[in-house]
Amino acid sequence: MIDFVQNTLDGVMIGSSYALLALGFTLIFGVMRRLNLSYGPTIMIGAYLGTLLHVDAGAGAAAVAAATVLGAALAGVYVERLCFAPMAAGAGIASMVSSFAIWMQLEQAAILVLPRHTYAFPPLAAGAPLTLGPFLVRLDHATMLIAAAALATGVYLVLHRTRFGLGLRAIVGNPVAAHLVGVDVRLSTLAAFALASAVGGVAGYLVLAVDQQVTPMFGMWATFKGLIAMMLGGLGSIPGAILGGLLLGAIEAHAQWYFGPHIRDLVTFAVLFLVLVLRPTGLIGEAPPAEAAAYGRA
Amino acid sequence: MLEVDGLVTAYGKIEALKGVSLGVERGGITCLLGPNGAGKTTLMMTIAGILRPRRGSIRFDGADLVGRTPAQIVAQGVALVPENRLVFPQMSVRENLLAGAYQRSDSGEIAADAERLYERFPRLRERREQLAGTLSGGEQQMLAVARALMSRPRLLLMDEPSLGLAPIVVDEIFRIIGELNRDGTTLFLVEQNAHKALQVAHRFYLMEQGRVTFSGTPGQLAEDEVIQRAYLGTRRAAV
Ligand SMILES: Nc1ncnc2c1ncn2[C@@H]1O[C@H](COP(=O)(O)OP(=O)(O)O)[C@@H](O)[C@H]1O
Ligand SMILES: [Mg+2]
Repeated sequence: MIDFVQNTLDGVMIGSSYALLALGFTLIFGVMRRLNLSYGPTIMIGAYLGTLLHVDAGAGAAAVAAATVLGAALAGVYVERLCFAPMAAGAGIASMVSSFAIWMQLEQAAILVLPRHTYAFPPLAAGAPLTLGPFLVRLDHATMLIAAAALATGVYLVLHRTRFGLGLRAIVGNPVAAHLVGVDVRLSTLAAFALASAVGGVAGYLVLAVDQQVTPMFGMWATFKGLIAMMLGGLGSIPGAILGGLLLGAIEAHAQWYFGPHIRDLVTFAVLFLVLVLRPTGLIGEAPPAEAAAYGRA
Repeated sequence: MLEVDGLVTAYGKIEALKGVSLGVERGGITCLLGPNGAGKTTLMMTIAGILRPRRGSIRFDGADLVGRTPAQIVAQGVALVPENRLVFPQMSVRENLLAGAYQRSDSGEIAADAERLYERFPRLRERREQLAGTLSGGEQQMLAVARALMSRPRLLLMDEPSLGLAPIVVDEIFRIIGELNRDGTTLFLVEQNAHKALQVAHRFYLMEQGRVTFSGTPGQLAEDEVIQRAYLGTRRAAV
C-alpha cells in the first residue's frame, strides 16, 4: 500500500509536466484543429538555446529557463508561419506532414550547433527530499508540480478572464463566427501558437532540469508524451490534458515499479490503445469539431 | 448605405456570384430572395469579408470594404448573423454576448447593452449561464442576433434567420426584425420564407444562379410569382 501511494505520488509529480506538455498541444489543436507534430522539437530548440547559453557562457538556471521558454515560443511562431498560416482551410494533412518535415529540420539544426549526443542541463532544486510521513518527495519533483499547477492556473485565467482568451475560445468554438464578431483570427492564432509553445517550453525546462541532461531526441520524446497525454484525456480539452498528463505519469510510475523500465512504455501504449478503443474521444473529451473547411479566406 | 457593384466571387473555378449589383437603403429592410444555391450566403460572406471577391466593389457609407478583414468590417459597423447561427457552443449565453462585443472596450456600456438585449430576449436572460450549444434552435437564433447587435452595427445582415424554426418562432423572429428596424437599424435580410419577407421588406431582390434577376418593391411582382421564383428559380418555374 505504501509503495502504491509512493508510486502514485511520484507519478503525479512527473505527470504534472506531461500535463503541461499536453496543455500546450491541446491549445494548438483547439485553435487550429490540426496536429502540430513539431511541437516537441519546438520545445527542444528552446532547450538547446538554453543549453548553448549554459555550455558557452556558463548561464545559470534562471537564464537557461528563460532562454528555453523564449526559444520555444519563437520556434513555435516559426512553425506556425511555415506549416500552418500558409495552408488553406481544408489542407490539414498538408500542415501535419509539413510539421513533420520541420521536425526533422529542427533536429538537424540542433545537431549542427551542438553536435555531441548529450549535454548537461543545469539542475532545478537540489537538496534532501522532503518526508511526508512514510513518503518521500524529491525537491525538484515538488517544484515541478507547483510550477505546473501555477502555470495551468495562469493559462486558465488567460483563457477565461482576458479579451485575448475570449477571442481564442471563440476561434475554438467556431472560426467563421470568430471572424464575424471581429476577432483578428490570424493574429490570435499566431499568439496562441507562441503561448502554447511557451507553456511547452516550461514543461520541457522542468523535465530537463530534473534529468539534468538533454539530447536532440528530446523533441520526439516531448511530442510523444504530449500526444499520449492529450489523447488519453481528450483531444482539444484542457481538463482532459491535465487529467491525461497526471494519469500518464501515474501509469508510468506503477508500470516501472511492477514490470521494470523496459515494459513500462508497452504498458503505457496498451492503456492508450484500450482507452481509445473504448472511448475514441479520450476520457473526458468530446468529439473534436471538424476542421473549418467551408470558408477559407483566399 | 451599402452599394454592391459587379461582384464576382468564386469557389475555385466555379463562380457563385457572377456580377451582382444591388443596394441597401439606410433605415430600411431590404430582402434577398432566391432558391437554394443561388449564391445568397456567398454574397453575405463576401460582404462580411469572410470570402474575397474576384472582382467588383462593396461600398459602405462611401468606404470600400473589399480587401478588408472581417474584423475591420465589423469595426466599420456591419455585422452578419450567419446562416445556421454559428453560436459558440461551449460558451455560455453571457460569454457569447461578450464575444459579440469583442472589438469594444467600454465595459460599462457593454454591460448596459447586454442588459437591454436581455430585455428584448427574456429567454436569453433566463439562460444566461447555460452553454449556447444546449439551447433550442430558436433560442440559438435569438442569441446569434443578440451577439451581432453587441457590436452596435449600423447595418445588420441576416442570412436565413427563420431556417428550420417552428412557425411560432418564425413569427417571433420577424417581430424582432420589425422592432430592430423601428429602433433605427438598417437590415439586409436573406430569406427563403418569401411570404414573411415580403410583409416586412421595403425593397427586395431576387437572385438566381449567381445573378440578380429582379429588383423592386413588394407589390411590383405578384407574390405567387415571387414565391415561385424564390423557391424554384425561373427555369423550372417556366416548365
Ligand atoms: N464552400 C463551398 N465550396 C464550393 N462551392 C460552394 C461552397 N459554398 C457554396 N458553394 C456553391 O456556391 C453556390 C452558391 O451557394 P450559396 O451561396 O450557399 O447559395 P444560397 O445561400 O443561395 O443557397 C452553390 O452552387 C454552392 O454549391
Ligand atoms: Mg444560404
